[in-house]
Amino acid sequence: MTDTAGPTDTPTDPGAGTDAAGVLRPPAEQAFADELAALERLDDRPRPPKWRLSPWAVTTYLLGGTLSDGTVVTPKYVGARRLVEVAVASLATDRALLLLGVPGTAKTWVGEHLAAAVSGSSRLVVQGTAGTAEESIRYGWNYARLLADGPSRDALVPSPVMRAMQAGRLVRVEELTRIPADVQDALITILSEKTLPVPELDTEVQAVQGFNVIATANNRDKGVNDLSSALKRRFTTVVLPLPATLSEEADIVRRRVASLGAALRLPADLEHLAEVERVVTVFRELRSGVTADQRTSLKSPSATLSTAEAISVMTNGLALAAHFGDGRVGADDVAAGLVSAVVKDPVQDRIVWQEYLETVVKDRREWSDLYRACRDLDPA
Amino acid sequence: MTVHVLGVRHHGPGSARSVVLALEEVRPATLVVEGPPELDAVVPLLADAATVPPVAGLVYDVAAPRRSLFYPLADFSPEWVAIRWALSRGVPVRFADLAGRHLLAPEPATGDTDDEAAGRLPFGEAEEPGTTAPDQSADGPEAPGSEESPDGSGAPEVADADVRQDVVAVLARTAGYADPERWWEDAVEQRHADVLARFAHLRDAIAAVRAADPALSDAHNDRREASMRTVLRDVLDAGDVAVVCGAFHAPALDPRGFPSAAADARLLRGLPRTKVAATWVPWTSARLAASSGYGAGVEAPGWYRHLFETWSTGDALPDPRARDHDVASSWLVRVARALREEGLPAPPASVVDAVRLAESLAAVRGRPAVGLDELTDATRGVLTEGADLPLAVVHRRLVVGEEIGEVPAATPMVPLAADLAARQRSLRLKPTATSSTTTLDLRTDNGRARSVLLHRLRALGVPWGTPADDTRTLGTFKEVWELEWQPELAVAVVDASRYGATVLDATEARVAERAREAEGLAELGRLVETCLVADLPVALGAVVDTLAEATAHQHDLRVLLETVEPLARTVRYGDVRRTDSGRVGALLTTVLARARVGLRAGCQALDDDLATRTRIALESAHRGVALLADPQRSEPWFRALAGLVADGSVHGTVDGRAVRLLHDAGRVDTGDVAARMSRRLSLAGDPADGAAWLESFLGGEAVLLHDHALLEVVDGWVSGIGDDVFADLLPVLRRTFSGFGVAERRRIGAQLAGASRTGETVREVDDDRALPAVLAVARMLGLEVAS
Ligand SMILES: Nc1ncnc2c1ncn2[C@@H]1O[C@H](COP(=O)(O)OP(=O)(O)O)[C@@H](O)[C@H]1O
Ligand SMILES: [Mg+2]
Repeated sequence: MTDTAGPTDTPTDPGAGTDAAGVLRPPAEQAFADELAALERLDDRPRPPKWRLSPWAVTTYLLGGTLSDGTVVTPKYVGARRLVEVAVASLATDRALLLLGVPGTAKTWVGEHLAAAVSGSSRLVVQGTAGTAEESIRYGWNYARLLADGPSRDALVPSPVMRAMQAGRLVRVEELTRIPADVQDALITILSEKTLPVPELDTEVQAVQGFNVIATANNRDKGVNDLSSALKRRFTTVVLPLPATLSEEADIVRRRVASLGAALRLPADLEHLAEVERVVTVFRELRSGVTADQRTSLKSPSATLSTAEAISVMTNGLALAAHFGDGRVGADDVAAGLVSAVVKDPVQDRIVWQEYLETVVKDRREWSDLYRACRDLDPA
Repeated sequence: MTVHVLGVRHHGPGSARSVVLALEEVRPATLVVEGPPELDAVVPLLADAATVPPVAGLVYDVAAPRRSLFYPLADFSPEWVAIRWALSRGVPVRFADLAGRHLLAPEPATGDTDDEAAGRLPFGEAEEPGTTAPDQSADGPEAPGSEESPDGSGAPEVADADVRQDVVAVLARTAGYADPERWWEDAVEQRHADVLARFAHLRDAIAAVRAADPALSDAHNDRREASMRTVLRDVLDAGDVAVVCGAFHAPALDPRGFPSAAADARLLRGLPRTKVAATWVPWTSARLAASSGYGAGVEAPGWYRHLFETWSTGDALPDPRARDHDVASSWLVRVARALREEGLPAPPASVVDAVRLAESLAAVRGRPAVGLDELTDATRGVLTEGADLPLAVVHRRLVVGEEIGEVPAATPMVPLAADLAARQRSLRLKPTATSSTTTLDLRTDNGRARSVLLHRLRALGVPWGTPADDTRTLGTFKEVWELEWQPELAVAVVDASRYGATVLDATEARVAERAREAEGLAELGRLVETCLVADLPVALGAVVDTLAEATAHQHDLRVLLETVEPLARTVRYGDVRRTDSGRVGALLTTVLARARVGLRAGCQALDDDLATRTRIALESAHRGVALLADPQRSEPWFRALAGLVADGSVHGTVDGRAVRLLHDAGRVDTGDVAARMSRRLSLAGDPADGAAWLESFLGGEAVLLHDHALLEVVDGWVSGIGDDVFADLLPVLRRTFSGFGVAERRRIGAQLAGASRTGETVREVDDDRALPAVLAVARMLGLEVAS
């Protein structure tokens, strides 16, 4: 048995797994084991039952800071402090947390880190899809056992949710709105009663303290399987926004690319990530449909062009530069990634991209290398 | 005789509560409140049951009412609760501060100009537009060193003023508190069981602050405190005194440290003076929240009111934690009710969760108790499902509040209000609280006078009436107005009173000011119209001057074009209103000439948005020219349009419209139009441009398509473009054609069907296939049919 139902979820950490050595991305509690241990050691504030850290320390873990012994905690989430505080405070009052936002706004990422910091493990997770069945939220049966011995505790296969209830941990439910409405309903009882009845055994599983749910949902999915108001009421909703400014977004990309590069042992010159600004500018301009100077309106492509994708473009560029170039990421290294991030629909998006290339990129004198690199890819 | 100095935070609900407790204990013979002594005369009005806070004391210069000071009082202001306490017990109330007659006196040519009137106010707002330096609002420290402050930079000056204004907030910040009220609670209230000891300790703390930095006080502050002491000396003989003043002044008002009366008198000798009047005016929570003026702004009056009310009723709760819980939960109950009225579910169970979340959040943030920040975050997370939009309602209705104060009928009126009331009487135009419609006949004197009054008030920012049909006000003898007198308008009148003592003077001054501040020609053009309908001869001169100058510097074609129509309307209808519009005419000629000359150059290389703006501007200018019905002006205009369409490179949107305008005026014939159209719609050209041209050319009326030749060009083009291009253009085409009426569209359809048939002559008729149709028609016509 694995901890997960459905495909294993990792935050869309672009570039993970592309490393020649094939290093898989370790879960947050391993990747940041040192930081968590230091926080745990120095944390003298009250901890809610079963919490590994105090709410204050969880907040520090997510937002970063320097501890009294000099340990530097890296920021995991870059954005408004308020959002993280609300998320942590909600978990501390036993209220489930719903992280809402467009794709690539770090919902999964934040959820994983919260689970790691609060429960010491981020691996109890249900990946929501249209095919997610009730068993992944309640429990299933081991049919061989069931047939041989009849219904019994041993034949019961607990879902990640049930395991979290028993262990007093956090369980993550990814992409909640993709889960069919009737399956979603199974969560209502769990969240309101904190019990999970097992009528077949005439018993029920009681959640022990420390149990809670972190769900994520894409607010562009609206109308797919909109949450019922009964379910919504059980959650504290925290909307994760797209980064407000260019510099904020570039900062996120730079940090993530640097740490991914380090994890992938890419011997790149991280000082020279100037390309980040350009990639992020392209993303933001196309996303918002207007150039940074607000002068020219643009068509937007069908792609989301999230921060996560900008990270992916940059990480790929870093890999290219490291393996085939001089280690410095240049226009040539990001062009291909950029084009494939923008052009998702071969017809419409291509037109959008060409227009952007010819009317915006071309006119920026200091962007001529990028213009050339993109043209070379696609001399249409 | 003891003086009990109750240093407070202006508009601080915590201070207000402490003040009441202190007064109960002291039971003073006289109450002294920080504020200009001119308010003494009107203070009894505050005891009137018809006085409903928020209200503001208003002191103004009689000769120039624009020079005025406002002293807002909310029901949670310590000054208000103290005054009400005294009045209800027959305890005399005296205001003590530098008198308004000095504060408002025009600055002598020399002297210390670094402290502007606004910066010196105790807790009032100064309104002296036009007479003071731009940094007077003191919340604009962005221009350090640009002013004449002797110590070189403006920034420390502002910081000192901040300290004087709200020393409590500064102390709170230093102690790590975001919310000064919270600090008051913890550091003042909780620390000392004895209420008088609280004020004494605070006074000592501030004395230490002031001793450490004597520069915090300046000459102006010294004069103010000397004035306060002078009043204190005056009332000391009558028994114990309680003084409610800004905490900063507390150390200076302790009689043990008084300088000699002579020293104070010296400080106050020879100050400039002017004649002032004082009254009360209704105020609103929104105005309390506005951070206009110096320091009087409270960010969240509604929240403060809530604190004050909950605290006053919750004094029974001995445990401060229980009281905090009470503050949070009763607030969120109110929030939930407001949200429910907006159609959100906000069920009670969620309110409970929101309270817990807010408390947990305060703990995460390491704050001693839940504050407005936590409550707002909890509201967003639990009650509005993450949405910000409903929070705007909460902000407006609860955090700020929608209270409107009232003053009793006996209250002296500001001159402008008195003038307005007189005019309303003489024109028999009574304010009503509900909306009503009035039709005015401009041929009668009374009709015109009413119209002028309503237009003036609108221009003055007192929108009592709204024209029912904005576009036609100039052209006809009839004017329809929606009239509704809302209580806020009383404040608007007071606000406007800084522009003048009569409706006419104030409006002239206001419009002249707007002309100076106007952002562009188009706005100035509208102001010209305003001057006309509101009959403002003085302002008209000022506006036309500004306009003439702005025109000379204006190079943007669109702006020039947009100016034409309002000016033309002014010229055209000026005589209806019996106004002299001669200078406007001359200006119009200049604007038109410059627009004509720049027409072609200004239409080059337009993107879609700019082209659309240009088209709209062109149409408006054309309407203006047509309105004038003056060949001297229209001939050159048409020549300019012809020049424009001769240039093949102009954006389709602009060119299409220009061709249409010329066609409608009979300047180009249909054959010419067809040729142009076919050039534009030629398949080699950009189909998007073609579609834009077509949309712009046809714009609104399909009349032209009745012309066979034109229709054929369009038809040929539409059937000639490729399928995918057609799909792209479909939205534009649909838009173009859906602008026509149904009947119109049907006619075009029929015509097209007909057109395609006329091409081929029908030679043979298939009788069998035609028969059913023929029979049906025959039956419809009621003919006998032999079957
Ligand atoms: N504000 C942010 N702070 C830190 N990382 C961010 C931020 N926004 C996006 N990211 C990065 O983007 C990537 C994608 O995040 P993910 O959690 O998969 O997005 P989502 O679940 O919202 O679709 C992660 O690697 C994350 O580090
Ligand atoms: Mg995700």
